[in-house]
Parts: sequence; structure tokens; C-alpha cells
Amino acid sequence: MTALAASPTAARLRSRFAPRGLTWSVLRLHRTALYVGGAALVAFAAAMVWMYVIGDDARASTGPCSPSAYCLNLTASTFDDKTYRRLVSLTAEALSYLMFPVGAWAGGALIGRELESGTARLAWTQSVTPLRWLAAKLAVPALLLTAGTTTAVLLNVWARQDGGPDLALDWYFSNTFITTGPTAVTYPLAGLALGALAGMVTRRALPAAGLGFAAALAFFNLMDWYRWNLWPTSSVTVSDPDGYQLPQTALHMSSGYVLTSGERSESYPCRDMPGPGCLKEGDVTGHYTVFHPQSHHWPLQLMDAGIALAVAALATAGAFWLLRRRTPSRG
Amino acid sequence: MTDTAIEAAALSKRFGRRGKWALRDCTLQLPAGRVCAVVGPNGAGKSTLLAVAAGLLGPTEGSLTVLGTHPTEARPRIAYVAQDKPLHPQLTVADTLRLGQELNPGRWDATVAERVVAQGDLAPKTRVRSLSGGQRTRVALALALGKRPELLLLDEPMADLDPLARHELMGTLLAEAAESGTTVVMSSHVVAELEGSCDFLLLLGAGRVRLAGPLEDLLAAHTLLTGPAGALDTLAPHTVVESRTTGRHLSALVRAAGPLDGAWQTAEPSLEELVLAHLRSPDAPALTLDPAREAAA
Repeated sequence: MTALAASPTAARLRSRFAPRGLTWSVLRLHRTALYVGGAALVAFAAAMVWMYVIGDDARASTGPCSPSAYCLNLTASTFDDKTYRRLVSLTAEALSYLMFPVGAWAGGALIGRELESGTARLAWTQSVTPLRWLAAKLAVPALLLTAGTTTAVLLNVWARQDGGPDLALDWYFSNTFITTGPTAVTYPLAGLALGALAGMVTRRALPAAGLGFAAALAFFNLMDWYRWNLWPTSSVTVSDPDGYQLPQTALHMSSGYVLTSGERSESYPCRDMPGPGCLKEGDVTGHYTVFHPQSHHWPLQLMDAGIALAVAALATAGAFWLLRRRTPSRG
Repeated sequence: MTDTAIEAAALSKRFGRRGKWALRDCTLQLPAGRVCAVVGPNGAGKSTLLAVAAGLLGPTEGSLTVLGTHPTEARPRIAYVAQDKPLHPQLTVADTLRLGQELNPGRWDATVAERVVAQGDLAPKTRVRSLSGGQRTRVALALALGKRPELLLLDEPMADLDPLARHELMGTLLAEAAESGTTVVMSSHVVAELEGSCDFLLLLGAGRVRLAGPLEDLLAAHTLLTGPAGALDTLAPHTVVESRTTGRHLSALVRAAGPLDGAWQTAEPSLEELVLAHLRSPDAPALTLDPAREAAA
């Protein structure tokens, strides 16, 4: 202790914050993943800065476009414009698909390989209980993932600026949706937990990597199918049979005709062109539109992120349950 | 401190609900401060016994205590080296020892671990994946000894080594263990590697205890006989472990219950003869010599 007290402040600070124990072991054992993740974050940040820089030029090249009407941009795309669009979709894909490699890695390298090669038992016969081992294996990557994806989402939202839909894609496109809110943080966490569970189930590196990837893929697609049912939709009924012109920022779910009986029909009830005649012939009193306005972005985000967290919690509980069942404990 | 390293009472272990019993009704007591050999053919339950003692497997029935407590409670005081010596291939030797230090806070003795590694002429920067079998075993032993365990459990530690590496490592191991008063429990099916290094023997066969006791006492309790084949009848009062007739000659390993008939030539068996005779006669009765009672007598 005297040697420590005599050492310079900087060294003392370094030694205080240097990772110790299980944290050190997780960081050291998965150093490659740490480097790859760090490099990916740096590349993502660079892409975001670039996107921000060329954003104004790209916007100028698309010309004026009313936000209340669909915009057919027939002007030739400029260089900035094309680059911008590519950047937007590429970075959004990279961030929203992050849970797949995370799931495969967690299953394969983080858990499966250790159980297969016996190095997990090596850790459990040091002064570390299996439960603490798994807790560190999950907590350290979860913390780093959370920090990394939070940074990425904030950068993404900043770089999208006003989120001009002609350039940056509307909020309701899957990848845009996932990468502009807490969902981007919770999906990789779900991937981590599903992968860890796959590792505990198979106890082998390769099958666990495959199973972790598949579980993340299944989760991603289920959410993609049912995402818009997670919050009640809005609906507008107008007497004009031509219907209601949704703003471009709204996500159209369904539309159709309201009959005098009060029933809704998605199919066009008249033989003639829409008009006053049709109103009578088809007993149509109006036109309805069901949609998600942009204001549903946040409630939908919170529901989506909440489900991802719940899945992560269940998978984590499953992994711990399996570990507890397989290793002896006192009593 | 307790003078019993491992104590098992009616310990049974089965893998799966309908699997074969790996250990069946084992009651045994391994004294502390000894080098104990766990011997038996493949599948006798040696690895299972060590894994239960290391707190990696739970018993199906019965109980086992280590250093007077539950194996999981004794975790910081036990070291265990598995048969295949699992180590992280991507780590260097130095990082592997650092791992031992980080995962054993307050127990780790870097000097011991580094000394064990240095004796093997191993560069600390070498990656584990490029080590030979002997070097790998040395690093695994360094990791185990650096923990300064009260009990060191070794599962077939020398099985895949050449005789020279085996001799060297055994020397290192016994010297370090003797210096720190560590109890060593070592399983093996190569009896030769135990001769001269262990002083307590546990022979397992088909999941059951066949022989247990201080090696010298066990050897003394048995007699190797040779004599005329017709004299077999005179052995009736003694326990015959094994007898073999070659022509008119008969050789037998017996536990003498009293003075032997003068027709026999007698000798004390070697460890190998004792073990082999018991392995060849699975029906021979088990023998357990209590170390505590022997010491008191």
C-alpha cells in the first residue's frame, strides 16, 4: 500500500480504473471482438460525419418538395445525392443488422467455445463461481454494446438532420425505424442474450454461432412483421370517395370505403368511376384511412425496444437457469 | 485446516436419468498432506470423482466434502487440472498467468507460477496455441500451483507426455507441492508414473472403491506367493485376490489372515502387481485401510 501511495497520481488513477478480475479476463479473451467493434464504431462515425457534411448539397439537389405531397423527383441525381442515399441506406442496414453478428459471436466465441474446449471449467476452478462467470461474460459486452450503439444512434440522428424523407428515407422504413431510437440499442442486447442462450444450450462453438444467428434473425423478422401492431393506429374518415390524402410522413396501413351499414370495405364497391353515382349505388358514405402518424414514432419505439429488452431478459434468465442446473451449488 | 482432504459418503454419480453409473456407492477418505493416486482402468470413475471434488459436477446420490466443506465453498482453496488441459489458445503464457492472478484475487503467488514456467524454458510471450503437449501441461500446472491450493486435483496429468517430460514435470510438481504442503490427488491409468511419488492409493473399478489406504500399508497387507499348484487348499483361511496356475506352479496374491503355510515362497508385491491383480479379478473383495486408525495404532 505504501508503494501505491508513493506512486504518481496518473499511475494511481490508471490502476484504479484499469479493469480487474473477471472484467479483465473478458476484455482480454475477446480482444479481437473489441477491436473489430471499436473499428466498426469509428467507421460508422466517419460515415455519419461525411453524411452530415454533404447533407446540405444533397438536399439542395433534390429541389423543393412539399412535405404534404408525394414527391416525384425526376431531376437527375447529382453525385452528392447518390452518395448520400447510399450512405443512408448502408449505415442504416449496418446498424440494424448488428444483432446478427452479435448473436452469432455471443453463441460461438463468448459461450459455446468456452464450454466446448473446457476453458469455462478452467475459469470455474479458479476462485470464480459459474454464475459470476456468466454474469461477467454478459455484463461486459452488454455495457460496451450499449455505449457503442447509443453513440451510433445519436450520431445517426444528428447526421440525418431534419430527416428529409426524400433523402434520408421516412421514419417508417424498417432500417430507418430501428436506427433512429432506443430500438437500435436493445436489438443487439437481445442478440447477445439469445446468442448466450444458444451457447448454453448447444455447448459447442459452431452450432451455437449458427443458432444464435438464427434466433436473432427470427426475432428481427417477427418484429418486422408485427411492429406496426404494437400501438393503436389512427384513422380518418371523409365523405369524399376519393379518399384522404395522407401526409408523406404518415405510414399508410389500410384504406377503403365506409358503407351505409357502417361496415368497412377495402375493395371498391362500384362498377363506375368514383363519384356521386357510386355513393348511392354502393351504399358508400365515405372513405376511411388507417395509418400511423409520425407522432407514433416514439410510442412504437418504446414498445419495440421494450419487447427486445424482455426477450433479452428471458434469454438471459434461460442461460442462467441452464448453468445453475448443470453446475452444483451448495444446498 | 482439517486432516481429511476429501471425504465421500455413499457417493454415486450417474449421467442422465438412465445412464450408466460412473460412481456407485463410494465411501472414502483421502487424508490431507499426502500425494494420493487414484488408479483404475478407463471408465472406472476417476475423472468423475475428481470433477465432483472440484465442484464441477454434483453427486446424484450421497455426498462429498472437500477440506471439510462443500466443494463449491472450497473453490478458492482447490486447484484442478482437467485431462485435456484446457487453456485459451489465443493468450500468451504471460497472459495465461495474469488470468490466474485476476481470477484468484488475494491467493495468487506469481513467483511460484513464474518459477514453474521458467523451469520449462518457456518464453512468456509464446502463445499457448504454439506450445507442445509437455509445455502446455507445464503452463496448466503453473496456473494450478500459482493459486497456492490446499488441494490440487490432477486428472491424468501426464497421460500424453513423453517419459522425459513426464519425469521433469512430476519432479516440479512434487517439489512445489511439498514446499507448500499441498495435498495432491492425481488420477492415472499408467501405474508406473505413480511408483515412488505417491503415498496413498485409491483403486477404483467400475465406479466402486476396490482398494483405499496408505500405499505402504496396502502393500504390506498383501503377499505374493508362489508354490506347488496342489497347495491351493492351504490358502483357505486367507483372502485370495488372484491365483494363476502355470503347469504345476501356482502364483497368487493374497491378503494373509495369519501365518502362511511353509510351502510358499513369499514376497511383497510391487504397486503394479497389486493394482494389476485387482484389475484382473473384479470380484475380489474391496479393502479399505483407514489412515487415521493406522496412525493411531
